[in-house]
Amino acid sequence: MTGRAAPEKVTRDQAAPEESPAPDDVLLDTGDQAPPRPVAGARLGVAGWLRWGWRQLTSMRTALILLFLLAVGSVPGSLLPQQGINPAGVSDYYATHRLLAPVLGHLSLFNVFGAPWYAAIYLLLFASLVGCVLPRTVRMALTARQPPPRAPRHVSRLPFSVSYTTALAPEAALESASRLLSGRRFRLRTGPGWVSAEKGYLRDAGNLLFHIALLGVLVSIGLGGLFGYKANRLLVEGTSFSNTVTALDEFHPGRLVSPGDLQPFSVTLNRFRASYVTSGILTGQPAAFDAAISYTATPQARARSYTLSVNHPLKVDGVRVFLIGHGFAPTFRVTDGTGHVVFSGPVPFIPVETSGLTSDGAIKVPDADPEQLGFAGVFLPTAVDVNGQLESAFPAPLHPVVSLVSYAGNLGMNSGPSQSVFSLDTAGLHRLPVAPRPLAVGQSMKLPNGLGTLTYTGYRQWISLAITYDPGQMPALISGIAVLAGLLLSFLVRRRRVFVRATAGEGGGTVVEAGGLTRSDAAGGFEDEFAGLAAELRRQHQDGPGAPGPGDVRAPTDSPVASQEAAPTGSSVASQEAAPTGSSVASQEAIPTDSSLASTEGE
Amino acid sequence: MFRLPCSPSRVAVVPKARHIAVPKARRVITGVVACAAVVLGAAACSGGGTAQDTAVGNGSSFVAGSYSTTVFKPGSRPAAPAVSAKTLTGTNWQLSADRGHVVVLNFWGSWCTPCREEAPALGALAQHFSADGVRFVGIDIRDDPASAQAFMRKFRISYPSLNDPNDQIALDFHGTAPPAGIPTTLVIDQSGRIAARVIGKASYNGLKALIAQVSAGHS
Repeated sequence: MTGRAAPEKVTRDQAAPEESPAPDDVLLDTGDQAPPRPVAGARLGVAGWLRWGWRQLTSMRTALILLFLLAVGSVPGSLLPQQGINPAGVSDYYATHRLLAPVLGHLSLFNVFGAPWYAAIYLLLFASLVGCVLPRTVRMALTARQPPPRAPRHVSRLPFSVSYTTALAPEAALESASRLLSGRRFRLRTGPGWVSAEKGYLRDAGNLLFHIALLGVLVSIGLGGLFGYKANRLLVEGTSFSNTVTALDEFHPGRLVSPGDLQPFSVTLNRFRASYVTSGILTGQPAAFDAAISYTATPQARARSYTLSVNHPLKVDGVRVFLIGHGFAPTFRVTDGTGHVVFSGPVPFIPVETSGLTSDGAIKVPDADPEQLGFAGVFLPTAVDVNGQLESAFPAPLHPVVSLVSYAGNLGMNSGPSQSVFSLDTAGLHRLPVAPRPLAVGQSMKLPNGLGTLTYTGYRQWISLAITYDPGQMPALISGIAVLAGLLLSFLVRRRRVFVRATAGEGGGTVVEAGGLTRSDAAGGFEDEFAGLAAELRRQHQDGPGAPGPGDVRAPTDSPVASQEAAPTGSSVASQEAAPTGSSVASQEAIPTDSSLASTEGE
Repeated sequence: MFRLPCSPSRVAVVPKARHIAVPKARRVITGVVACAAVVLGAAACSGGGTAQDTAVGNGSSFVAGSYSTTVFKPGSRPAAPAVSAKTLTGTNWQLSADRGHVVVLNFWGSWCTPCREEAPALGALAQHFSADGVRFVGIDIRDDPASAQAFMRKFRISYPSLNDPNDQIALDFHGTAPPAGIPTTLVIDQSGRIAARVIGKASYNGLKALIAQVSAGHS
């Protein structure tokens, strides 16, 4: 005997022809049925196919498949270099895979997240989810407002039932039952000779909340994608930048973001401090990063101080500015062959390893005369000689040294594609015959042929900042919490229905039948609730005006064994804990079998 | 009107109860799983910015202009902000002092390839229009003054350039026609309104036509 078969019996019973045309099912159907599927071979018009297509699209299975495709589709995005993030990597790929690269390029595999096929997947997914959630939400809303269904004709066939006789008139008995049930916050519906009550609407409220919040999550994500943006900026100590497109290293705007939409704040990096563990096996590991900054929220606003650290972003005007990296920017002064200072300032070098923060970088002097000059090399925060090889032993600048290779010729900056500021394109350059001698702060390197001089004047530190603006973040969080809350409600709360019928008995008195029903798969606890309710109801009916006669228990019509041969005193002991008076608490299983003692075990 | 093979009469034959007891619970669970996956998936897609561990992913490290020209009709030209800054050589400069003249503002940097490409054209145009009272001013961005001055010597740029180390001037144009990349060239008319914006490398002929048009439009 399973829970599935049990309600079916009741349904059939309820659908019996003599039953009044009750639109409601006795069972706890929340109106959520699978869309009927078309039968193969049947004729469909254009509209029919459209409807069929829409049903397929909005089915949960399709949504899952699309979700899977979305995940699979993003795989090449992480395996292949992407145009927006690493254009140099894409060029390299084209150079090394001459045959394959154009094919991949045609498939937009170098710009996966902007590819039409990728957009098709996520738009379909969005449509699928909205198409699935919206109708459900409407259905849920209607269900939540539904009154309880009519009482079934045979209340005693319900999974839980009790019957007894009382001296009260049927109307009075029903009246008192209504009072009891509404006192326990049941929603009531009454009819001739019956009272129908339902409780646990919070379940549907929870379900509704879940669905609406799910839509909220989708909309929030959409908001972020349309109006949000992400940007990166490298900032050297002692310098400032403003949140404007020309000042950003990278800018990934949402679809509806224009340059004028950026929040006009400015940030100055006053000082950056990285502390490292100096003893033990963790020597060289970072202990803390702090960036002392000052910022203005708008050009007119007063400057404020702030200390940026990892996971402690600056929040300004709804934008969050994260500290995501740091490094060194040695400062140089370059004098060209004509004696002019043609370069003077910090040059950010990019760390290539973390234990000693050895960093790579390039200095480009495109306006030197008589020839353009370029230098490429490394910065070593704590330079040590290991078998004739220079290495950095510690990430803090204890002995900061640079070692550079010098070039002259054409830097390739006067025309052609934009190039990285962190590396030299040596195609048009020739290497100058200068031994790459490591320079300490203050030391100079004279170039041959009167081309000029480079001086290593010192170093500063830089930080890299991730600037993110996501207007959908807070709505997404709230929606996410609401999703969970709704889910919990709909899992923890049960819909319970109680029906009471009172009819005049053959031998005088009134026969009261009460039945209870809940979702079979979440029934734990309802048995006790119903038993308590039934006992209370019976007590009220016995205590009511008019002396209680001996209880006359009537058996359910088609299960004569249920309590017919029970004690003639009108007490049928139906449940385990022998109810001392005329009450029969029978469970669903009891009805078809010849035992009135069964309970709902096994559910 | 067509009828689907699965019209309501068919539905009625199917015992409703069958749909309720088990499949519904299963569907709820499927739904939960799907929704959780969607949320996770979306988070994975949108979380790229902060997860990026390289300090500078983009090799070129600046936002290049996307080569577009915007021309504003005389009636709908946004007013240029008050710009006041020091030039690379240390003298004060104010945009309002050039009221009555067409002013060409060019955002540039000595490190920027398209800026170097357009520099000869700008220098030549400044010469060409000097007799007409058109003033050229550069705004040097993310540059060190030594490099900027070397650039100006190299390309024989005779007009002044403003030093804008913290992007204040770009920010001043916030809400009007902000520079949306480097280089960006703004043409400001005689009454101090922005008449045109060229994002990306300006061509000699294109910019010449623009300046001539703005110049003639008012006088």
